[in-house]
Amino acid sequence: MNTSLAWKNLAHNRVRTAIGVAGVGFAVILIFMQMGFHGAIRKTATQIYDALEFDLMLRSPAYLHLTEPRSFPRSRVYQAASLPEVAIARPFYLGLSEWQAPIRKNFQPTATIAEDDPAGQWRSIICMGSDPHDPGFVRPDICRLARKLSDPGFVLVDSKSKPEYGPINRQEFTEQDIGAETALGPNRVRIVGLFKLGTGMASNGACLTNPEGYVRACPWQTIDDVNFGLIKLRDPASAERVKARLRVIYGIPEAAAGDRPQIDAAIATNTNVEILTRAEVNELEEYRWVVETPLGQIFNLGVWVAVFVGVAIVYQVLSTDIANMMGEYATLKAMGYSSIYLTSIVLQQSVLLALVGYIPSVLISLGLYHVVEKASGMPMAMSGGILFWVLLLALGMCVLSGIAALRKLYQADPADLF
Amino acid sequence: MDSQTTIPATSGTFAEGMHLPKTVSVAGLDHFFGEGELRKQALYNNTLDVRRGEIVIMTGPSGSGKTTLLTLIGTLRCVQAGSLKVLGNELLGSDRDLIVRLRRELGFIFQAHNLFESLTAFQNVNMAAELAGIDPKIAARRIKSLLTRLGLAERIHYKPKSLSGGQKQRVAIARGLVHKPRLILADEPTAALDEKSGREVVTLFQELARDEGCTIIMVTHDNRILDVADRIVNMVDGHIKSDVAVQETSVICEFLKGFPLFADLTPNTLAEVADQMMVHEADEGQEVIRQGDAGDLFYLIRDGSVNVLVDDGEKRKKIAELKAGQFFGEAALITDEPRNATITAQEKSVFYVLGKNDFRRVLETSASFEEELRQALFNRQ
Repeated sequence: MNTSLAWKNLAHNRVRTAIGVAGVGFAVILIFMQMGFHGAIRKTATQIYDALEFDLMLRSPAYLHLTEPRSFPRSRVYQAASLPEVAIARPFYLGLSEWQAPIRKNFQPTATIAEDDPAGQWRSIICMGSDPHDPGFVRPDICRLARKLSDPGFVLVDSKSKPEYGPINRQEFTEQDIGAETALGPNRVRIVGLFKLGTGMASNGACLTNPEGYVRACPWQTIDDVNFGLIKLRDPASAERVKARLRVIYGIPEAAAGDRPQIDAAIATNTNVEILTRAEVNELEEYRWVVETPLGQIFNLGVWVAVFVGVAIVYQVLSTDIANMMGEYATLKAMGYSSIYLTSIVLQQSVLLALVGYIPSVLISLGLYHVVEKASGMPMAMSGGILFWVLLLALGMCVLSGIAALRKLYQADPADLF
Repeated sequence: MDSQTTIPATSGTFAEGMHLPKTVSVAGLDHFFGEGELRKQALYNNTLDVRRGEIVIMTGPSGSGKTTLLTLIGTLRCVQAGSLKVLGNELLGSDRDLIVRLRRELGFIFQAHNLFESLTAFQNVNMAAELAGIDPKIAARRIKSLLTRLGLAERIHYKPKSLSGGQKQRVAIARGLVHKPRLILADEPTAALDEKSGREVVTLFQELARDEGCTIIMVTHDNRILDVADRIVNMVDGHIKSDVAVQETSVICEFLKGFPLFADLTPNTLAEVADQMMVHEADEGQEVIRQGDAGDLFYLIRDGSVNVLVDDGEKRKKIAELKAGQFFGEAALITDEPRNATITAQEKSVFYVLGKNDFRRVLETSASFEEELRQALFNRQ
């Protein structure tokens, strides 16, 4: 086996190999993108939570997902604050409101607005409400900015919001937009600052205001009903213990068996609050977005479609290769080479194709991730897990097509050579 | 006329080589293609022995089954009925391991060269050397010398794309020979070659046969290389029509040429005559023909000697003694008269005989024959 026939075959038929590599690369990039989207959905779910400071979260048992959080009595948050283990318990408001893209100050009523100018149009937006002096964000820059929210009519805008929310330069919100006035829900607000967060696929834009501002933006909710209770503990390791104590305080029975014990228990006893650790929050949110919504399924399916496309392309390349060298392979058989040897040549070729196709695809995908992130605001991240899984899928895809192509090889009949 | 046989004179049975082991032994081999209604018989009761060191050329029109027989011998097809032994192994009902092992003892030279485009000439040949487990250094030396021998010294490291058809064919030949196979099966090995390289290839075959005891079976229509054949097997419609030892046939032809009536016949006709002759044997003192009997055979003495006795009514008189290479029995066939003498074997003798009808047909092929005949008879008186 010194003669590495597999490699030489690939190196010799450069055009066909290039097509094969392009095919593998195409499929691999597709997989990377699908996995990137998939990862972005998972991140979507947790991006805002990652920015918030909490060890335990209180929320409504009817909570669906980030933009459908439902509400529960604010008193529950203060109840939690009574425990000595709790460092601080903050109410946090979050909901979907309506945002009108700001109309420029020098706008004349008689002037016509360009077709693609969003000015004056309404868009739904994630509106967050929190105490300006202690907003509960992990990042100090946001905490500092929040101090500007001294009036219910003041908002901070996420600079990662899409252009459809009407930034003055029609690209993204910048310092120029500070001072602009527009409508949030039924009331007028003024942009007093910018923060950079990003909300993934849950929404195209976000803004932050104070609790009074939130209630004005979402008038169906009162200030006594909050969406989240952010509980920070003195000792984060005591989360489970505190959770158990809170459960007693709120009268939530011990968790019942099942996939989502907290929720089931809460629903069973009609308790108006549930307690989750950060890990549980993330897990449930991921479950919601990746498994329960069609989005996750679409991209899951996308991965398999990409693998399928890859198999088809690599199969074509390999089987054409085999078909073109039928005589040569049959000659090897006649010479006394075993089927195992021939099989190994084809499989070596497929693995080589996979590897050669994989490497440039990683680089291209990194570029595409960047482009997509820039364009859509989705948090695309190339993680080690994705690199590993895509490599595995690429190898699997090529070996699978190699095996499919082998059938042709076994048909090589040395008796036809004469 | 006791020990008549049905062995053809040209089979070489009475020539040398009987003691060598059989490389290939085909007995009662039938072969069919297709299934059910479409089942078609390709080989009918083929029998053929090829001995060690023999070069056998198979000829016959296309579709005559020679390639089928070659692939069967080469273990490339499954034996269906009959017996086929290659290098002492019965192929009927043999398992895959035996087949793969056996194939490594064989050297194939296909009409299509089937070289790997991605490998150089050297590497292509090395595919066979590697499989045989030859030490890489020895293999490298052998590959170089083989390729040089075949006129490819300058092109050892060229890929097939930069080789001509003939050069590719020669690389394929080197690949078939490099592992010193015990049996070489070749299909038109010289078809793509010019006269000089074709000659070099068959010379190589002859050396392998002579020095290594390699047996070579080739299908060819290239009559430039017929001279290397020890035997020529002719197939028609799945039957082995003739299986001729070339050496023996040429001996017979030489003998026949010595017979005045046949002196003007072309070698072709002579070979045809030789083909129709059968082997007869006689022990010492045995009467081969008797005076007064109807004559129906023409005799050529292959081996031994005979007495010619004439009975003049009272006593037998020995009038002549005939030796190997001489003839008798022609007069009765020509004149349609009874035998004019008795012939007895002096020692254990072998004769090649020709039937009366065959004999006459040969004579009629020549227009000048009648005249020649009368002249011959006249001269005898």
